[in-house]
This record gives sequence, C-alpha cells and structure tokens, in this order.
Amino acid sequence: MLAKFKLIQPWLTLLARLILGGVLLAAGGLKIGNLQKSAMSVRAYELLPTDLANFFGYVLPWIEIGMGLLLIVGAVVSIMGLLGALIMLAFVVAIAQAWARGLSIDCGCFGGGGEIDPGETKYLSTILRDLGFFLLGVYLYYFPKGRFGLDK
Amino acid sequence: MASNSSSDKGTRNLVIVMVSFIVVVGVVFSLISNRSSSTAAIPASVSEADGYGIVLNPEITPKIDVYVDYQCQACKFFELINGDYLNEIISQKKAKVVYHPMSFIGPESALAANAVACAADEDKFMSMNLALFQNQAEDRNTGKWTKEYLALLGESIGITSSSFKSCVSDGKYVRWTSNVASESGKADVNSTPTVFINGKILDREKGEYGDVAKFRAALAASGIK
Repeated sequence: MLAKFKLIQPWLTLLARLILGGVLLAAGGLKIGNLQKSAMSVRAYELLPTDLANFFGYVLPWIEIGMGLLLIVGAVVSIMGLLGALIMLAFVVAIAQAWARGLSIDCGCFGGGGEIDPGETKYLSTILRDLGFFLLGVYLYYFPKGRFGLDK
Repeated sequence: MASNSSSDKGTRNLVIVMVSFIVVVGVVFSLISNRSSSTAAIPASVSEADGYGIVLNPEITPKIDVYVDYQCQACKFFELINGDYLNEIISQKKAKVVYHPMSFIGPESALAANAVACAADEDKFMSMNLALFQNQAEDRNTGKWTKEYLALLGESIGITSSSFKSCVSDGKYVRWTSNVASESGKADVNSTPTVFINGKILDREKGEYGDVAKFRAALAASGIK
C-alpha cells in the first residue's frame, strides 16, 4: 500500500498542482478584465471595511494569477499549497458567513459577483467545491515533490 | 542530473522572479488605474463632491442619489416604474437628484454612460436616460450599443447639435466613467439600481424599488412629496 502510494504520489502532486493552479489562474484571469466588478463582489460580502474590500478586489486577482502560475510550473509548491489552502479556507469562511447572515450574493469566484436574487444563491455547492480545493492545497503542502516541476 | 542542478535552480528562481514581477506590476497598475483621475474631462453638471455624479437641481436640499448601469435590467424596470415620478420631482424642483451611471457590466455600459453625459451637456439628461433604458439590448454587451447607435439614439430624441455627436463619437467622457465607478465603490454600492435618500439606502427587500407606491412613501418619509 505504502509502496504503491510512493509510486503514484509524484503524479498525484502533478495533478493537484494542475487543478489548483489552473483554478486559481482562471479565477484571477477572469477577474482582471473587470476589476470594478471584482471590487464590488468583495464589498458584497459585507465583511471588510469598504476601502479594504476595494483594495482586495483590485489585488486578489493578481495574487491568484501568480499563485496559479507558480503551481502549474511547480515552483515553491509547498508554500503555494499552504497559501492556496489558506485562501480557500478564507473563501469558505466568507461564503459561510454571507449564507448565515442571509445575504444574497454571487461568490464572484470566477468574475461575476455582487448581490443577486435570493433564489439564485449557490452557497453549499460553492463551499463544498472550495473545501475540495482546500484539501488539494493541504496535500501539496505535505507532498510538494511531483513530476515535471521546477522544484528539485 | 547533478551537472544540471545549478541551471535547474537558476531557471526556477528566474520563473519565481518573473511571476512576482507580473503580480507586483499588475497590482500597482490596477490600484492606480482604478483611482479617480483629476484630469478626466467631466460634464458641466457633474460635481466631484457628489461622487462625480450628474447633478440635477444642485441648489435644492433633500438629496436623492441614483446608481444605475444602463445595461442592468433591474435598472430598466426601476426606470419604467418610478421614472415618471422622479421626473416630476426634478421638474418641480422638490429635490436635488444625482445620477451615477456605473459601468461594471462592461464596455457598452461605459459607452452608454458617456452618451448620457453628453446629453446632460445639452440639457437632455432625463430624456437620454429614458431612451437608453427603452433601447436596452436583450442581453449584455451584445454589440448593439456602438457610438454610432448612441449618437443616432440622441438624434432620435431631438439632440441634433454637432457638439453632442462629436462628444459621443469621441468618447469624451469615457474616462469620467471610471471616476464614477471608483466613487460608487467608496459609497459601497454593490448592486444596481441603488438609491439613497439623504444618504439613507432604499430597502430592496421591502420592495421600495419595484413598487411606485412604496417608492413614493419612502421619499415622502424624507420630506420629498
């Protein structure tokens, strides 16, 4: 069992890197075309003071792009895995508090975002999806060495 | 393998530096380009102190702020439901009304906002405001609202001056729309339409946007009747 895991672990790491990195790259890339909307979707969580929310709305897409690129090429995988897990955990907390407080918002994860009709919210599926990405990040933190990576 | 390890390390470090550089440049560029620009051309009726909005009846005291995006369907319904009453308030000088045309839905929103600002310079803001909503496309950024289309739309409601035409086709106030967007962000406007009466936000859940009787009641509660 352990021997088998040792054999496939580098491939699992590659897969986790490509999924988490691809998701982050897409999430950031879809936001940079409309940073107004990105800032608006952070404000809609009603979690941060307005100025700070706007700041995050402009900055977060670039952070996501940077993390996504590094994960895909396999550089500083351990740290990026940890950061990725933390960022996903932060998203889960933000979405859960919006849900608990009865806000009607789109998560704005891949562009979009802001207030929407109460019937259109997708809190549970978003939380479960982000928890999945969180686990990929945790896995990469513990098993950063994989195939086709720049880290040696 | 061993002989390659130092060049591998070099490649890795180079990639890390390049990615960091992209992130830093992107962040700096985004933060700068989303600040209000003091050099953007602004329409005569626009007041910086009122969040770069288009001001009607600047001398009256009760204040109504209206945030719309011309491509937003809920804003169209708001206009069709409450527009007549707002027109009445403006023409009878019962309140100062500030319109904030936002552009978060996309490039055609900015073109529409530019066109309505050009119309404001010709004293035709309210008619252009209505005409835009009446001629909203079924979907967003469909290519319907070109500069040519918007200039013709203005002409169809009687704005025939050449200054209007060049204002629309030159996109004279397109940079101003970023200022409106930035100030709307500072005012914590997260959806459209959003209306503030003397700084107090109308309640969406109570139906104060979608029911003219409730809209009137909310205005009356602030002394606008």
